[in-house]
Amino acid sequence: MMDSITQKAGIIAVAAFGVVLVSSAGYSSVSAQGLPEGFKKGDLAAEPSAEMIEAGKRVYFTKCVWCHGVDGAGDGPGADRLWPRPRNFNQGTFKIRHTASGELPLFDAKKPIPGQNDLFETVTHGLPGSAMPPWEGILSEEQRQQVLSFITTQLVKDRKFTDKQSETQTILQLADLKPKPATDESKKRGGELIVEKKCVECHGMEGRGDGNAFNLKDDWGFSIQPANWHKCWNFRGSRQDPYNVSNIFRTFSTGVNGTPMPSFADNTTVDERWDIANFVNSLCERDPLGNPLPIDPLTDKPKINFVIPSDLVEGEIPADIEHEAWQKAPKRYVAMGGQITHKPRNFVNRIDDIWVRSLYNDKYIVYLLEWDDRTKSVAEGKLPWAPTQVNIDVKEQDPKTGEEGSIAAKQNNYTVYNDAIAIETAVKWKELPAPIKPRYLFGTNDQFPVDIVKWEADGSLRAFKGTGWDKDFEERDNYEESMKLLKGEWKNGRWYVMIQRPVGNKKDQDYDEDTFFEVGQYIPTVFFAWDGHNGDAGRKMAVSAFFYTFMNPPVPQETYIYPVVIAVGVVLLEGWVLTRRANKKRGKTL
Amino acid sequence: MKALMSLGALIGVAGLLLLGGMVFDVVPSTTIRLVEGYMPIQMLLEVACYVIGFTGLSYIMGAMGMAIPRFWQGIGFWVFLMLYLKFRVYPPIPFSVRAMYGTVGLVTVFMWVSANEEDWNKFKQPIMNVLDAQTGMKRLLRYAYLVAIPILVGGFSFNAMMPKSEEPIELRTVHPAPPASTKVHGKTYTLQTSQNPYRVNPEGKYDQEFSNANIVEQGMGRLMKPNANPWDDKNQGYLKYVREGGEIFFQNCHFCHGDNLNGRGLHAFAFNPIPANFTDPGTIAQLQETFIFWRVAKGGIGLPNEGFPWASVMPPWEQHLTVDEIWKVVLFEYWHTGYYPRTWD
Repeated sequence: MMDSITQKAGIIAVAAFGVVLVSSAGYSSVSAQGLPEGFKKGDLAAEPSAEMIEAGKRVYFTKCVWCHGVDGAGDGPGADRLWPRPRNFNQGTFKIRHTASGELPLFDAKKPIPGQNDLFETVTHGLPGSAMPPWEGILSEEQRQQVLSFITTQLVKDRKFTDKQSETQTILQLADLKPKPATDESKKRGGELIVEKKCVECHGMEGRGDGNAFNLKDDWGFSIQPANWHKCWNFRGSRQDPYNVSNIFRTFSTGVNGTPMPSFADNTTVDERWDIANFVNSLCERDPLGNPLPIDPLTDKPKINFVIPSDLVEGEIPADIEHEAWQKAPKRYVAMGGQITHKPRNFVNRIDDIWVRSLYNDKYIVYLLEWDDRTKSVAEGKLPWAPTQVNIDVKEQDPKTGEEGSIAAKQNNYTVYNDAIAIETAVKWKELPAPIKPRYLFGTNDQFPVDIVKWEADGSLRAFKGTGWDKDFEERDNYEESMKLLKGEWKNGRWYVMIQRPVGNKKDQDYDEDTFFEVGQYIPTVFFAWDGHNGDAGRKMAVSAFFYTFMNPPVPQETYIYPVVIAVGVVLLEGWVLTRRANKKRGKTL
Repeated sequence: MKALMSLGALIGVAGLLLLGGMVFDVVPSTTIRLVEGYMPIQMLLEVACYVIGFTGLSYIMGAMGMAIPRFWQGIGFWVFLMLYLKFRVYPPIPFSVRAMYGTVGLVTVFMWVSANEEDWNKFKQPIMNVLDAQTGMKRLLRYAYLVAIPILVGGFSFNAMMPKSEEPIELRTVHPAPPASTKVHGKTYTLQTSQNPYRVNPEGKYDQEFSNANIVEQGMGRLMKPNANPWDDKNQGYLKYVREGGEIFFQNCHFCHGDNLNGRGLHAFAFNPIPANFTDPGTIAQLQETFIFWRVAKGGIGLPNEGFPWASVMPPWEQHLTVDEIWKVVLFEYWHTGYYPRTWD
């Protein structure tokens, strides 16, 4: 196994070298010494001291061994349920570097240059979107250097960081390259270049990572997917600074070793690379004013607002996203995690957020749900279970260690089910004293059920009553006829689904099954999502925390009257104080 | 005295500059980090620093003939407190809680400025001056106030009355009272008398002293003791079980509780309530091992109402793990954080 990987790596290296040779022939971006523009030759770092290595072993066996394994082969106890898998250090293949494609990353245990000590930066900031956390604040700087001394000397087995015969360091001079201002012109040129340089073949027409998503494999043969440019906080190389264009420039210049992402240093000029980086950076989600989303420093994801406001519209609710009412409606980031409470648990969750907007009128409320899914999945043939069935035969990943049958080996090899989304709202939410709600996973029991509206990629829109995590759903009489699917479209790696349902009222609605959407009240709402190509079905799905749907009430008249009354009151009070003071001074008492 | 006050002033100016810098992103906002678990004492220390700083500052300014009136000192300090609470503390405190602190702060400031008759007179002097309006400037000021106050009050009340959709505040009990006993996989465990069967020395005897001697060291990094590596194949007893517990932890628990047991796992960002941080001295360090056993076995759904069983995604681990596996995970959590479980005596 090991040998074949080494061999493969060798072949790839040779191939890469060939590509470099061929591509460097006709391009002016390669400088006189044969180095790509923006790069300089560097020296290999000195070997870390034996004490550093020994101290690092202690760090490694406390913190890292659990995922990366005793021999650093990325096969620790945690590995099989992770995708991407933990790094296999043995080959010396590292993703995020300042060095040219195929080279070892920068690591200097003795004289580190801040910001340019690649492996140290990775350990410090973690790899967002994977299970690798930031270790800053947990391990001291010295401890991080120690553990890397151990890894680079003892666990990287096929290459040697200090071997001048076989290793070179061609270093991207990122500190000296000033980012080009992100002007419209620069972004426009970048947008043309990503087509010209064929970035879109893998990253998709809108950069949602949906191009060629099935066939890509990493050096170890595991399925791998192109980055989604709209979620910069999940960029592995984002260094906890996702909107920083330099990170994109670096990744684009050096490539990502061990993956199909090549280095573009040889066939683009530095100027072109900044244009591309500016364009890619501009795609990342921003607020309505175009400012970066506020990032929560505790999670390194966008900050969450748990209230989904719904605006009132007069007349029919538009089905066109471009309509002014939708454009004005506030958009909420709904974070999604894997359902890992009950079997089958979803360890690898591929839908990590949904963007939700909502509008309502006197009869209906509409949710507009948008989420990125690299694959449009519609199950072929009839599913072996009924739509109401909850306890279905989907297995979860075994915990045992060994690459056979691990999640990473299985990705993209699952039976394809329907992509789906569901909105769960509490029934009888007003009868429960706040903050009590029916349980997030399909309700508490018969007494406190939930109202579930589920859309599936085969075009069906169904309404269920949920009475517990392991209870099959109950169909709701006649309700489906009163709902309407205004939109259900997959385009360039993104689903756009618009669901219209009655707001209901206490009088003629079946209040034991349906949620009564009352204006100006906080209605507990949970979202579920299924990625059909991830084998998601039943409880194997993504879930959100409790959100609240809040239908913004029209502004009541009192809002305009009372403040005026209060202001007048204050004026009277002022008069009284002044008179009293004046009288007192004159020696009179009131 | 003067030297002492100058030192205080120096501390005050440096602290203010640093705080301002961090709030406005001039220096990295992590320059002085609030560490979880030590935050309250850190904040008290910081505020104490500022009080010393302000005392020094006002003394120096006074000595230089630029004394700040007591009136503005009082108001200034209160405003500083409110801004400190709003911008310094992370995660942010809800407005209602800040309002409570603000009221307490206001009362304190009031007590300070009205400590004796002379101070009180000094404090209210500027107000009286404006009321009496004996100079042209003061008269102008008085009219400005007369107009501004009703407008401000009216504006605030308008703002308060506008329908808003702010997140409702829901306060959850993190450590609810445990039951007397719990039944897991058909066997009843009395919480007061049960023991972790894997907290044993190499001879196989329950031995808390032995296990306490082999947990990771407190201090930066929380590293294992150099001669107590759970990955050593020769291990018998406690450390062997720690490793087995670790394997279970990293196959099941780290998704939420994180690779460093600090509640920052892969899925944690999506959940509310957030997963428990075991490295915080306020969680497992405060609890008996049997309490953890109960919480792990029964999960979120087994919590009493004050623990928000409807929102917690904590699995009832009896559905996924055996009793032995649960005990081993608990053992590992104490080992990895370097805490001793609390005992009943």
